[in-house]
Amino acid sequence: MTEDSAEIPDFSNLTCTNLMIRLKMLVKKAGPDILVECMVRRDQRDTIDVPFSHTGYDVKIRKVDTNRYRVSLKKKPGPNP
Amino acid sequence: MTSHFFLLGSQLTQERLSWIEEGLKFFFVKLNPENLLHSSKPKDAIFSFFLTGDALYSLQNPQTLPVWEIILSMPSVKIICDCNELELRGISIERLKMKNPDQVIDRNSLALNGQPSFWKDVIKLARQHEQPVPSTVGYLQMESPYMHQSAHAALLFLAAGVEAHASVDLYAYLDGIHLGHIGQNPSECENIGKGLEEVNERAQKKGLSCQMIACGRCAAARGYSTWDDGQGVVISTCSIKPFKIRNLREIINQFERNHIILAKDSASIQFKKDRQSPSSSPSENGKKSPITILVTRRPYGTEKAFGAISFAVACAYEGIQTRVIFIEDGVYALMGEHKLEKGTHFFNLQEVVDAVAGSENLQFFSFNPSLNRRGITKNRKLNAVLDIGSQELGQLLFYPPNGVSANHQRVIFF
Repeated sequence: MTEDSAEIPDFSNLTCTNLMIRLKMLVKKAGPDILVECMVRRDQRDTIDVPFSHTGYDVKIRKVDTNRYRVSLKKKPGPNP
Repeated sequence: MTSHFFLLGSQLTQERLSWIEEGLKFFFVKLNPENLLHSSKPKDAIFSFFLTGDALYSLQNPQTLPVWEIILSMPSVKIICDCNELELRGISIERLKMKNPDQVIDRNSLALNGQPSFWKDVIKLARQHEQPVPSTVGYLQMESPYMHQSAHAALLFLAAGVEAHASVDLYAYLDGIHLGHIGQNPSECENIGKGLEEVNERAQKKGLSCQMIACGRCAAARGYSTWDDGQGVVISTCSIKPFKIRNLREIINQFERNHIILAKDSASIQFKKDRQSPSSSPSENGKKSPITILVTRRPYGTEKAFGAISFAVACAYEGIQTRVIFIEDGVYALMGEHKLEKGTHFFNLQEVVDAVAGSENLQFFSFNPSLNRRGITKNRKLNAVLDIGSQELGQLLFYPPNGVSANHQRVIFF
């Protein structure tokens, strides 16, 4: 969904619940085969990693700074989660 | 015996009372027809309605009074009124009381100070729900003090809990955050902040736990979070000492325990003890009390509807079986197609519902009679929100979700 890192939304100020809601809205809008990316804080990683990887998404998390992580989500091929 | 209770403090409309009445009919006719036989009427109340604040007007209002009369004609239903609030409002319930002398109670137990205390009666029933007597009672507060009387009610509830030797929890959410502001100095009302500090002190003296946890998101929005360690701990220079600002998850963690948690408008529904337990041994999540969240407000005028969904998502994420029912004015969230200006820092509630529906432990329902009453229909794209009528509402209230072995369900009105 986002190629240029400048366009990647920064969700580091969101609470876990709202981060979850925002991401679910983004992946729903994006549809299959489209990468969804965002920047989050260290403590937000688990909020994304476990629930999304358990429900049919490829989750990649890369550290970009001390407390800054770039998250990439993509729906795995196959039946809808 | 299975007993259920409602605590109602907001204006009680004919619409609300009518769906409650339908729920009770479902309970007695479909689930417990034996209670309808005169010979088997239990002595104790099966349904207790605790009425305080503006809900008391429903006992005199010509639109709601007939519905109360139907409800009182059902077996083992009691109404317990807040006598101080009745007197304050000049509400007369003599007619209803004369007809139903054992069912309409307008006298409250005496507190230690010798004054009648409605909240002592509430605590008494709340504590009967667990054996042995539960150690904790909780209260979810979503409105600000002084503008809303519910803040005073929250304080009285906590004070009555401590007086009854229960540990007490206050969960501050949405505008409930303002209960903990430092330096409150009302000239005409009881000081809520000071009252909370006193409750905390009294609890400590008795060796009881007293937690006051405020939602971090709500606190940050309202300017309370003056220092955040990024790990969920927030120090505020503008909140009273007992108030702890924490991630919403910490509030939800308290909901994972089985104590009674009430709110301005709430209910506690006991599940039948003799029901068949789930085929396999209950999971850890199955032991958590399920929650039903009733979205009763319009979607955008206040933070209530979004707050309800956000709270539901957080509950479900922590493994609590969560059902969200759009009912009364809450159904406006499902009408038409909502469009939000691009770049707006707000949520399109329909998009939120559509995105989170299907999450583990989370289900959405739309109460059709509320849609019909308003002459509106649900947006067809919201197919993850299941249509229900009165019968299904009864099922949702009185049957535990699959795999749940907890003894009661919490119902919170947003």
